Amino acid sequence: MMTFNIPPFLFFLLGGLLLPLIPKRLRGGIFLIPPLLSLWIVFGLEQGTRVTLDFLHFELIFLQVTNLNWIFGIIFSLISVIAGVYALHIDDLRQQVAASFYAAGALCVTFAGDFLVLYLGWEMMAVASTFLIWARGTTEAIATGMRYFLFHIFGGVLLLGGILLHVADTGSLELTSFADGESLAAWLILAGVAVNVAIPPLHAWLSESYPMATVTGAIFMSALTTKSAVYVLASLFAGWQILIFMGVLMALYGVVYAVLANDIRGILAYHIISQVGYMVAGVGIGTEMAVNGTTAHAFSHILYKALLFMGAGVVLHTTGKSKLTELGGIYNKQKLVFWLYMIGAFSISGFPLFNGFISKSIIVASAGYESMDVAALLLILASIGTFLHTGLKLPYWTWFGKESGITPDKTPANMIWAMGAAAFLCTFFGIFPGVLYSKLPYPEMVYNPFQIYHLIEMTQLLIFTFIAFWIFRKKLDGEPYLAVDFEYFYRWAGKLVLIIAHKPIAIIDGWWSEMYSRLGMSISRFSASVVAGRAEKGFDNTVHNRLPAGIYSGGNFLIKFLRADNRDMSSSILYLLAITIVFIILALIRIMA
Amino acid sequence: MKKWHWITFLILTLITVLIQVLVDYKKPNEWDKIPLFYTFYGFIGCTLIIFISKWLGKLMIQKDEKFYDDF
Repeated sequence: MMTFNIPPFLFFLLGGLLLPLIPKRLRGGIFLIPPLLSLWIVFGLEQGTRVTLDFLHFELIFLQVTNLNWIFGIIFSLISVIAGVYALHIDDLRQQVAASFYAAGALCVTFAGDFLVLYLGWEMMAVASTFLIWARGTTEAIATGMRYFLFHIFGGVLLLGGILLHVADTGSLELTSFADGESLAAWLILAGVAVNVAIPPLHAWLSESYPMATVTGAIFMSALTTKSAVYVLASLFAGWQILIFMGVLMALYGVVYAVLANDIRGILAYHIISQVGYMVAGVGIGTEMAVNGTTAHAFSHILYKALLFMGAGVVLHTTGKSKLTELGGIYNKQKLVFWLYMIGAFSISGFPLFNGFISKSIIVASAGYESMDVAALLLILASIGTFLHTGLKLPYWTWFGKESGITPDKTPANMIWAMGAAAFLCTFFGIFPGVLYSKLPYPEMVYNPFQIYHLIEMTQLLIFTFIAFWIFRKKLDGEPYLAVDFEYFYRWAGKLVLIIAHKPIAIIDGWWSEMYSRLGMSISRFSASVVAGRAEKGFDNTVHNRLPAGIYSGGNFLIKFLRADNRDMSSSILYLLAITIVFIILALIRIMA
Repeated sequence: MKKWHWITFLILTLITVLIQVLVDYKKPNEWDKIPLFYTFYGFIGCTLIIFISKWLGKLMIQKDEKFYDDF
């Protein structure tokens, strides 16, 4: 096969730029071309391929193929095709362009060979994905999108700070893996990446915004942001001990909140955090087998999580509702959607012959091999929670449970096709894990998921989790409450900055007007009195009326911008403050070093 | 849930227990050596997840849906 060494993100970038020029009815179909091309190109890429560009004194590496990023490139392209089919009926140009740029960012990050290109892709993802939340159009979605955006910019600033420090220390932009706790630069980069991986307490942007995104936008979001960050984590931070702890914490944290969540996509969002926890723990363990496990699980996870989000998306699209308290009893109208969703649920829960079974277990087994018994047991506990929520609670109270009296609209055929494709792949890799294993970063791994102990483990676990669910199922119906998470503190942080920033600006503004009216007026009066007649009039008009009006309206704008009634926009101050803090820290470090 | 569902569960559990007792297979973890370990772990784990989460919810996590309206 011929190979073309083209950085795949270019297709998406070009696609995003050209989409506005294409007639509305063709756009959904044309949208699929970049991901298909990308899939074809990535498939042909060989390890070690590099595409570079000299820029200033640095060599920017736009394409660097390693044994780790190739498989991520494949799955990101593949899921973009599936999500594109799912969104085929959409004619919202904003969403189509945003999704294109979003995927471009993810592939840019995946194949970046240096920190600058990585950072560019990182920010492209943050900006583009925000539009997938805003496109929902509700006041709540716009406010949530703004918080999402600011938080990602905050993460981006941490990343940039770390990169600058790293370049200052080493003089090189090239991506290199860091030894555990190596340098401050490494810690800052880790903190920036941790925002996108959604490691608590930096995770609340995910659980708050994914349920707010558009039906089709959420599919891209469930696949790209966290998993591209997992890739960066695996390539830079393998073997960092703290990640084992954080990973296990994430796995359980998501489970607890999923019990309390009422929104169906909120439950799934918390299970992203939980599942990504396995991957983070795998990176922390850091052995060849564990990194393989992380990669395989990211691959499986993208497929089944997209499938689950597509199922929940169909429910929202056809009923207009997404809360368990408002749903129920629609199985007879959505049998196919339900069963396709269940394939995703079987996969995430680790049923034999589905793809979660063959990937999650590599991570748990590698924890066992390293004698991390507690971690292994806690990860198994989290998988009980996964089955409980995504496999039992959500489908039971959405499609069965009480009668809600809702009659869902007809599901668009393209949505069913996309779900079918994802369901097929979940099952295919579950039955033929070797196809995936041979493409993992360390293909010489000897691991067979279909061993007796593993089959017994899953059979007993799943049956008895089900029995406990059945006994306590009434307890798991949605409750009309908010589950308040760390976004509470994000909101407070924004508010605090406003309170701090509001006063000085109000004081300066007041002081400025005062000074002008006393000093400026008297000077101008005096000079005006020197100049006679018409000149005085002209001067007066300019200085007295226009200039102060200009200054006043400028000041007024700032005040308005900062005032709490405009709180979402005004929290951009948080961003400015974050940048300032990072640069002050950097400056201090430079001075002290 | 129909009767045959429960009977299937019972039969599957019995088969796994018989294998655990009678067949000599690879058991990588200590707990794999305890027959029925995962039945208890699954049942108790699931119950704990439900009740601890609900308790945490009542304690501090769950708020009124209008909680953020006047934030």
